[in-house]
Amino acid sequence: MTITTTFVRRGIAAALMSSVAFAASAQDVTITVWAGGSGEESNYRTEAIVMAADIMEREAAIRGDELNITIDAQLWSGWEDFKQAFSLASEAGNAPQIVVTGHEDIGTWSNAGLIVPIEDYVYFDSWPLNSIYPNLIDVATYNGQIWGVPQDAEARVFYWSIPALKAIGWTDAEIDSLPQRVQDGEFTLYDMLDVAAAMQDAGIVGPEMGFAPRVSNGPDYLQYYQAFGGEMLDAETGKLLLDTQALTDWYQFFADATEMEVVSETYLGTEWDVWHQNVAAGNYGTWHGGTWHYAQWENGFGLEDFFGTVQYTLFPAGNANGRANSITHPLVYLVGSGATEDEAMIAAELIATASEPRINALHAVKSAHLGISEVESTVPLYAENRWLTAASERLAPHANAIPNDPDFGIVWDAMFEGLEASWTGVMSVEDAVAEAEATVTQALGDNVVVR
Amino acid sequence: MSLSADLSGTKGAVHAHRPTGTAMAQDRGRPRVSRLGLILVAPALFLLSCFFLAPVVLTGVFAFTNMSTSTGIGAGEYVISPNLLDDLADAGLSEEVVTAISAETYEITPDGIEAARAGGVSADFLRDIEGLLLGDGFDTARGIETALRGLPSAPRSPRSLKLTAEFFGHSVLNQRFDSAQELTEALSLAVPDVDAGIRSEIVGASYTGAIYTTENFTYLATQPSTMRLVANTVIYVGATLSIFNVGLGLFLAITLFYMPKRVSSFYSTLWLLPRITPLVLYTIMWKWFTWEDGFLPLLAEQLGLPAFNYMKGSVITAWMTMISVNGFVGASFGLILFSGAIRAIPTQQLWASEVDGATRWQQIRRIILPQMRWPILFVVSYQTLSLLSSYESIWLTTNGGPGKTTTVWALEAFKTALSSYTGNLEYGLGAAMALVLVVVGLALSIIYLMAFKFGELVGRPRIEF
Repeated sequence: MTITTTFVRRGIAAALMSSVAFAASAQDVTITVWAGGSGEESNYRTEAIVMAADIMEREAAIRGDELNITIDAQLWSGWEDFKQAFSLASEAGNAPQIVVTGHEDIGTWSNAGLIVPIEDYVYFDSWPLNSIYPNLIDVATYNGQIWGVPQDAEARVFYWSIPALKAIGWTDAEIDSLPQRVQDGEFTLYDMLDVAAAMQDAGIVGPEMGFAPRVSNGPDYLQYYQAFGGEMLDAETGKLLLDTQALTDWYQFFADATEMEVVSETYLGTEWDVWHQNVAAGNYGTWHGGTWHYAQWENGFGLEDFFGTVQYTLFPAGNANGRANSITHPLVYLVGSGATEDEAMIAAELIATASEPRINALHAVKSAHLGISEVESTVPLYAENRWLTAASERLAPHANAIPNDPDFGIVWDAMFEGLEASWTGVMSVEDAVAEAEATVTQALGDNVVVR
Repeated sequence: MSLSADLSGTKGAVHAHRPTGTAMAQDRGRPRVSRLGLILVAPALFLLSCFFLAPVVLTGVFAFTNMSTSTGIGAGEYVISPNLLDDLADAGLSEEVVTAISAETYEITPDGIEAARAGGVSADFLRDIEGLLLGDGFDTARGIETALRGLPSAPRSPRSLKLTAEFFGHSVLNQRFDSAQELTEALSLAVPDVDAGIRSEIVGASYTGAIYTTENFTYLATQPSTMRLVANTVIYVGATLSIFNVGLGLFLAITLFYMPKRVSSFYSTLWLLPRITPLVLYTIMWKWFTWEDGFLPLLAEQLGLPAFNYMKGSVITAWMTMISVNGFVGASFGLILFSGAIRAIPTQQLWASEVDGATRWQQIRRIILPQMRWPILFVVSYQTLSLLSSYESIWLTTNGGPGKTTTVWALEAFKTALSSYTGNLEYGLGAAMALVLVVVGLALSIIYLMAFKFGELVGRPRIEF
C-alpha cells in the first residue's frame, strides 16, 4: 500500500475510532432516501427507513447518546428518470445516501464507484440480516462483495381469465390442473395462443384482447427468452450469453401471435393504466405481470374477486428447449458513495433495521411483494395474506434473477429492441436476431458468448 | 469575433473622418477593434461560450470515449476485482499470478499493532489484539475480522473493525486506487515475484474509467438501425416542414391577409395557441384528442370509422400524430413570419393589379409568392435545424413508438445518453450521435447562409453616409 493511500486510510480509521459510538455529543444527521419504480403501494420502501430511524434514535438514547435523524424520502414512479437522476446526482456529488433500486444496477454502479459495499458497514451474520434468504443475498452480491440488502422479492406470473376459460369449455378440473401442466411443460406458450384465439373466436374477449403481455420493456420479456431455452449466463465461462436460437423462437412467437391477431402489432407502448383497467374489468383472456400487480388491481382498479376470476401459473415453456419459469427482480437497499463515513454507517444501520421482518412485512403485504426471509412469512400480517402465501408456494421456488453483470444492460437493450422491431413488423425475425447479435458482439466483443 | 469586428468596422466607417491613401487601405483590410464594441458584445460572447461552445466542445470530447454509467463521467479508479482476474485468466494470465493476487494474507505483528496505534485505533482494542492474537495468521479478510470481532474491546462498527484489519495485511483485491502508480506500488508489495511487465498490464486492465476510442462512430456507421433513424428523421423533418411549417403557415398567412383585420387578428391569435401553450400541457391535450375515448376516436366511432388510440395504435396514425403535434407549433411560426412579410409588400402593387383586373389567385401567384422567397427560405432553414434537434414533443407523445417506428435521431441520442430502463446510460455513444447532429446542423447552416447570400446582407453598405 502506498504512503498516500495508507495515510488516507489511517486518517479515516482515526476518524472512525473517534466516532464509534456515533459521538458522545448530540448528532444531527439527514439521510436522503430515493426509491425507484415505487408507486403509492410501495411507500414502505422509504417509510421503513423512517421507522428504522425512530428505533435507532431510541436505541441511541438508551445508550446515552443523542442522535437526531431526519429522513428526506423520495419515491420515483418510473425507472428511467430515477436511474438518470441517481447516476447524474452521484457524478455531481449530490446523490442520496440510501437508494432502493433493482439488483442489476449493482454491477454498473459499483464499477463506477457510485455505491459502497454495505458489508463494510453491517454484519450479515447478525440479526436481522442473518435471517434473509441466502439466494437473495447472492443476488445482492457482486465481485465477491455484498453491496446491498434485499428489500423485497417477487415472482412474475402468467394470469388466465377463469370466466373466459370456462366460456370456451374448460372444466373446473382443467382450470385447477393448469398450474401443474404449465410447470411440467405440458402446456406451452403456443397452447396459450390457441386458447386466446379460441376466446376471441367465441366472442368472449374482443379482437386482439386474447393475450395481453407487459406493455413495456421489463424482466417479463426475458422470461420468453428462458421459455425458449435461452440462458443469460454461460455456465461454463460465467460470461453473458446470447442464444440466437432462443431469440429467434421468441421473436417468431410474437410474429405468430400477431398473425393470429391475439395481440396487435402496435401493442407495445399501451398505457399502463389502460392495461390495468382492462385486467380489472376482465377484458383480457390471458396476460402476464408481477405478483405486485395484484395489489394495484385490488386497491386501485376495483378488481374484487381475484381468486374466483383469475388463475395464476408460472410462465409457460415456449418449446421443448425451454422451461416454465419466472423471473424475480428483487430490489435492494444500497448506500451511495457520496455519503460521509458517519452517514454511511448510519444509513447501513437504518437499512438493517428496516429489514426487520415485521417492518418489511408492511411493505410486502401492502405492495404484494414477497418477503425477504423465512421468519417474515410467520409474521401474522404476512401469514394471513392469501395471495402472498399462494405465490410464495407456487411461483417463488421456480424464480431466478437476472445477472448483475454491468454489461447485461447492453444485451437486454439489444434483445428488446430486436423484439420491438420484429413485433411491429419493421424487420423480419431473422434480421432482428442478426441485428441484436451484431449490436451485442460489436459492443461486448469477447465478453459475450454467442451461441 | 466576426460580429464585433463587423460592428466596430461599421462604426469606424460612419464616425471617423474619411481616411486617405494607405491608411484607408489598412482600415479596410483590418478593421479597428473598438474596446467599447468588445465590452458590448462581451455578455453575448460569455453566454455563447457557456451555452453553445462549451457544450459542443464537451460533446466532441465525450463522443470519442466509451463513457457510460459503468465508467463514470470523471476520472476512473484502479480496481482489481475477482471478475477482472477471471477475464485476465481467460486472456492468458497464469493461474499462479491470479492466485497470488487473489490471496488475502493477514498476520498480527508488532509492526502492524504500532501502525494501527498511529492510525488511531483505541488502546484497549490494541491491548486485546496484542494479548490474544499476536503472531496469528489469517488467509481471508473474513477470518481476521471474525477474530477481531471476538475480542472484548472490539468496536461496535463493522467499518472500524474492517479498517483495523487492514493494518495487518496486504490485499489488493477490490481496493479502489486513485492512480496507476498507487496500485502498482500496492501490487509490488502484495506480489513482489510477479514480473513488472505483467503487473503493468494488470494495472492497465484494472482502470474503471472511460477511455478514448473511435468505436462510437464505427458502431453508428455499421449498424442497420442507423439508416432507419436517418430515414425517420428525414421523413419527420421533411413532412413537418413542407406540410405545416411552410405549407400551412403560408396558406394561413395569405388567407388571413385577405380577411378583415378584426377577423384575421382573432384567427392569428387562435393559431398561436399551440406555440404559447406549455409543451407538457399541449401534449396532454393531444393525448385527450387521440387516445381511446378521446375526441377523435369517439368521433370516428360515431362515423363508423376505425376507432383506436391513434397516437400509438398504428404506425401510420402515430406518424401523423407526431408530425401534427410538431407541425401545428411550427405552422404558427410560419404564420407570424409570412404575415409580416406579406404586409411589407407595398399595397400599391396589389391595388395596381386589381385595377388591371387580376384575380386573388393571380395576385398570390404573381405578386405575393415571388416576394416570399426570402421568408420561405428563412423558415425552411431555421426550422430544419430546430426540427433536427427537437425530440421533447415526440418523447412526450409517441415516445418513438410503436416499437421504434417513430424514433428520430435526436430522440435516440437522448435515450442512449440519458434515459434507459436498464440504467445503461451510454454518454459516449449519445454524445457521438449528438455530434453528428451538430455537424449536420453546421453544414446545413453554411449551405443556408450561402443560399441567403448572408455576406451581402451584413456586408458594408454600398453607399457610405
